Amino acid sequence: MKLLTENIDGIVVISSLPKVLDASNAMEFKEGVFKIIEQSSQAVFDMSAVQFIDSAGCGSLITTLRRLKEAGGTLKLCDVPKQVRSVLELVRMHKIIDIYNTREEALRSFTVEH
Amino acid sequence: MSKIAENHSKKTVELFLDDEKAPVTILVVDDSRVVRTYLQSHLQKEGYQVIEAKNGKEAIELLSDDIGIILLDLWMPEMDGMSCLRYIRENFPDIPTIMLTVSNEVSNAVEAMKYGAFDYVTKPFNPSELLALVQQAIRTRIQARRLRRMEDELLKAREHEITIASRIQQTLLLGGRPKNLKGMKIGDLTIASKKIDGDFYDFFMVNDTCLDVIVGDVMGKGIPAALMGAAAKQHFMGALFRMARVSEAEELPSPEEIVSEVHEEMIGRMNELETFFTLCYARFDTARKLVSYVDCGHMRTIHYHSDTGTCTLLQGVDMPLGFPGQKGFKQVLVPFTDGDLFFFYSDGLTEAKNPKCEFYGEKRLTDFVRGHAFLEPQDLCRAAWKDIVEFSQTESFSDDFTCVAVKIEIPEPEERYNQEWKLEVPSDLGELGRVRSLIRDMCKGLGSNLVDDEKIKMIQIVATEIMTNIIKHAYQGKPGETIAIEGKTSRDEIILYFYDWGIEFDFASAPKPVFDGSREDGFGLHIIAHTADYVRYSRDSSGKNCACVTFFLQRRE
Repeated sequence: MKLLTENIDGIVVISSLPKVLDASNAMEFKEGVFKIIEQSSQAVFDMSAVQFIDSAGCGSLITTLRRLKEAGGTLKLCDVPKQVRSVLELVRMHKIIDIYNTREEALRSFTVEH
Repeated sequence: MSKIAENHSKKTVELFLDDEKAPVTILVVDDSRVVRTYLQSHLQKEGYQVIEAKNGKEAIELLSDDIGIILLDLWMPEMDGMSCLRYIRENFPDIPTIMLTVSNEVSNAVEAMKYGAFDYVTKPFNPSELLALVQQAIRTRIQARRLRRMEDELLKAREHEITIASRIQQTLLLGGRPKNLKGMKIGDLTIASKKIDGDFYDFFMVNDTCLDVIVGDVMGKGIPAALMGAAAKQHFMGALFRMARVSEAEELPSPEEIVSEVHEEMIGRMNELETFFTLCYARFDTARKLVSYVDCGHMRTIHYHSDTGTCTLLQGVDMPLGFPGQKGFKQVLVPFTDGDLFFFYSDGLTEAKNPKCEFYGEKRLTDFVRGHAFLEPQDLCRAAWKDIVEFSQTESFSDDFTCVAVKIEIPEPEERYNQEWKLEVPSDLGELGRVRSLIRDMCKGLGSNLVDDEKIKMIQIVATEIMTNIIKHAYQGKPGETIAIEGKTSRDEIILYFYDWGIEFDFASAPKPVFDGSREDGFGLHIIAHTADYVRYSRDSSGKNCACVTFFLQRRE
């Protein structure tokens, strides 16, 4: 799985998430992400490409969040399509992961906090 | 008060046409400069404003509503006094005109009075006689002006009343289209010629399969006609309700019974009021595919037959309601088929005229309905109005414009919805996409009215979760085992069955979801339970497990 990343002021932004994030590729996705977040404890996932997510996909996001928190950072999501968002809300992930409308808003939130 | 003072105050009252305007202006028309100067000096001394004209032509140019009275010489070059008087009477009938004449021409002055002159004076003038006459003319002018103003106010008040009445009629009196009609669609349009009209209609959903449509037209227009229409509607509603209750049987009162009852109730009053109304009372029975109607002198309803693409005109045998001597009403039964259309209308449609004074007519209307029966009923009503506007080249008709269209819907075949789907896949997470494709195909056949994209995604998630559970838990991740999927769709629901031959699913051992971010699994069951409308797990004696999920579909209109 190829994940396109950018590093903006020490924050890793992953912008090429797979269209489908389900039990069939959640493991592979996690492995790819773990490699990337070795370089930084702050990450933003641009979710605009994701059309379908299931509980395993949600699980991979939660594991990523846990890893980043252990390293003193956090995970933020931006540009989440409506139907993906309703699944995240169904499993109440919006309460533990910050979700922003745009990438800029997500990035700005880091500077406000620090 | 001294005599002079009293005289003065009286004069000031009559010096002004309106309270806040300049003194009364008198137009003096005479070809003799001497006469003009003489009159001007006398009138100005009394406080009047004077303007002068040498002849009728000049006078006409000076005319306006601000002129109080006119002194007009009979004999002048360039348009004489008579022609000028005629012009004044036509264009400024409220301005009193006093003719000036010489004593040997009195007969002409008398002739002028026949044409509407206020009075005449003979030269040489007696100043006090002239002034008395001027004052009298001004008094008349002031009264005429007051009257005109009151008329205007009255007209405004009446228009205001009609606007309110029209709003009441539009919102309360015209029947609202019933919702949740099964097997029928209705369109309606009414445009009153004087803002408020005597056309009325209403719809009553009398039971699950019967819709009663009343369309009527009260003789006359305006508020009395609208009130009569409202009263008629109320009587029909009352009769329908009362008779349905009294009969207590399953049988509904028939249209002819209802019309007879209402006629009985109203005939006495209607005779007193010397009014009547035409009516069509039609009951559409979608179960029996039959319309039964009573026609009391109303316009012939157009019945479009979808099977042949032709029209027939429905006509009853009864006289309008309110005609004395009417005994018993006869209903006519007409069968209809799916896709048929009925078009009720008032004479405002067929009697609309074009600039050549030709009627739009029944034939043109029938042809139009036949040619546009494919439209939705509401669109058909609007299209008919547009066509008639185009024909008559005006939007303001002399008569009320009302039409109601009832279309019998063609039911969609249930087979389209009742489908069964089957798929077998190996126990491999790589197959999840195929299962989702199957669900997309199933849902597409139902149409986006029943299942939209969002709903499809939610069904796909549930299927994905169930599949994952089977692969990971029932088959413990072992590849190559079989999962059989069956789907059933109908208009009301989608049911999915997932069969496997692995370990029985055990609720008790399934992890409960934790939402604090400390665990990443256990969400699957939560998603299934909160997305599907009904979930059932079972295992038969041969060791076949079944997970069955149901999604209810709500039809959206």
